[in-house]
Amino acid sequence: MLMKRIIPCLDVKNGKVVKGVNFIDLKDMGSPPLLAEEYSDQGADEITFLDIAASLEYRQTTLDLVSETARRVFVPLTVGGGIRSADDMRDALNAGADKVSVNSAAIGNPEIISESAERFGRQCVVVAIDAKWTGKHWEVLSHGGTRPTGLEAVGWAKKAEELGAGEILLTSVDADGVKDGFDIPLNNAVADEVGIPVIASGGCGKMEDFYEVFTQTDVSAALAASVFHYKQFTVGEVKEYLKDKGVPVR
Amino acid sequence: MRVTIADYGVGNLHSVKKAFEISGAKAAVTSDMKELLGAECIVFPGVGAFDSTMERLAPYKEKIKERLLSGVPALGICIGAQILFDSSEEGVSEGMGAFRGRIVRLSAERVPHMGWNSVMTSDPLMDGIRERQFYFAHSYRCSAEDPNDTVGVTEYEGREFSSLFRTANTYGTQFHPEKSAVSGLALIRNFIDFAEDNR
Repeated sequence: MLMKRIIPCLDVKNGKVVKGVNFIDLKDMGSPPLLAEEYSDQGADEITFLDIAASLEYRQTTLDLVSETARRVFVPLTVGGGIRSADDMRDALNAGADKVSVNSAAIGNPEIISESAERFGRQCVVVAIDAKWTGKHWEVLSHGGTRPTGLEAVGWAKKAEELGAGEILLTSVDADGVKDGFDIPLNNAVADEVGIPVIASGGCGKMEDFYEVFTQTDVSAALAASVFHYKQFTVGEVKEYLKDKGVPVR
Repeated sequence: MRVTIADYGVGNLHSVKKAFEISGAKAAVTSDMKELLGAECIVFPGVGAFDSTMERLAPYKEKIKERLLSGVPALGICIGAQILFDSSEEGVSEGMGAFRGRIVRLSAERVPHMGWNSVMTSDPLMDGIRERQFYFAHSYRCSAEDPNDTVGVTEYEGREFSSLFRTANTYGTQFHPEKSAVSGLALIRNFIDFAEDNR
C-alpha cells in the first residue's frame, strides 16, 4: 500500500532556513543541509527546499546549498524557488535535486512544464500553486503569494497536469503560517479533480492537522515547516501518532 | 567490489554513486558505454526517459546483453531496470532485451505512482531488511513475459505490479534504493555482497 508522505520544508533565504507568518516577518531557523539531515534521520519521506528569495545574485549559493543538502540525505529532495526555465530545472537536478518545483514562471509560460516533463520525465516536475480564497473560488497568486493572477486554482492544477506535471504542491495562502490546520476545502477541490499526487501545504500547527488532512482529503503528502523547525514534535513522533490512528505511514 | 555506473548523459548520478560508496563499493561513473563490457559489476541508474536513456547504450546493446546473460552482476534502477526489457510504450527505441517483456503504462487513478510502498518478496536480496518500504516515482511498469523473472511485487490502488526482477545475476528494481533511506542502503549492501559472491 502506498504510504502517506510527511515532508518537512526548508524555506531558504540568503543561505538560511527562515520561517514567517503569511510569507512575511521571517526568522532565521538554521542551516539547510543540517536541518535536512536531521529531518531525514527522523524519518522524513522527502525534503523540500524552497529558495524563497530566489534572487539572481544568490543563485549559485543556492545550487551549492542544494548539493550540500543532497549529499547528506538518502531520501528524495525537491528544490524550488526562482525556477524560470527548463535550463534552471536542469541546473537544480544536476546539483542533486530529484524533483524541481516551478511556480510563478509556469504561470507566465506554461510551456516550461511540458518542456521539462519531456526532457527530464514528469516524475521530476512539481508545479507549486499558491492559492487564496476570494469568496467565490481559489485564485492563484504568484511571486511568493504576493501577486494575484486572475487564474482559478483548480483549473490551473488540471492544466498543469495536462501539460505534464508529475505532482502538485498546493499551498493555501490563507492557512499558511496561521497554524490552524490545512485548508481542507482547497485540498479537496484540487485533489478530487487531478489524477496526479497532491501535496498539501500551509497551516499545519499540530499533529492532529496531519490526521485531518489525510482522512478528510485524498492528498498523497503533507508538507510542514515551523512545527518541525520549532521542535513542537519530530517527524518520527507525528508518524507514530498517525500509525496509531491507522493512517498508512512509513 | 568495483561497480561501474552507466551515465546516459541525462541526469545526475551523485546519489547513486554516493549510495554505493557508503555501502562499501568502489563506484566509477562512465559515459563511455564500451567500458560496461569489461566491468565486473554494472549499475544502470534511474534517470531519464526510455529513449534518452537508450541512446548511448544502443550501439553496445547486444554485447552488454551477452555480458548480462553470461552472469555479470548488474542492477537496474527504475528506468534503468525498464531499459533491460525488450521495448516500452514510453518510447520507440529497442531495449536491451535481457528481460523478455514490455514496459506498459501503469493503470491507476493517480499516476505517477509516487512515494513509499512495500515490496513483497522472499528474494535473498532483501535478507535482513525488516522495513521493506522503498521510494517509487514512475508512470510505467515492467510486464515480464517469464513469470520467473519477477521476484517481488508491490500493491498500488488494489492491484499488484512487479517491482523486483531477476535473471542470471541481473537485478531490476522499479523503486529507487538510493533514495530509500536505511532500507535502500541495506539493499545496496546486499547487492554488493551478492555481486562479490558472483563475480
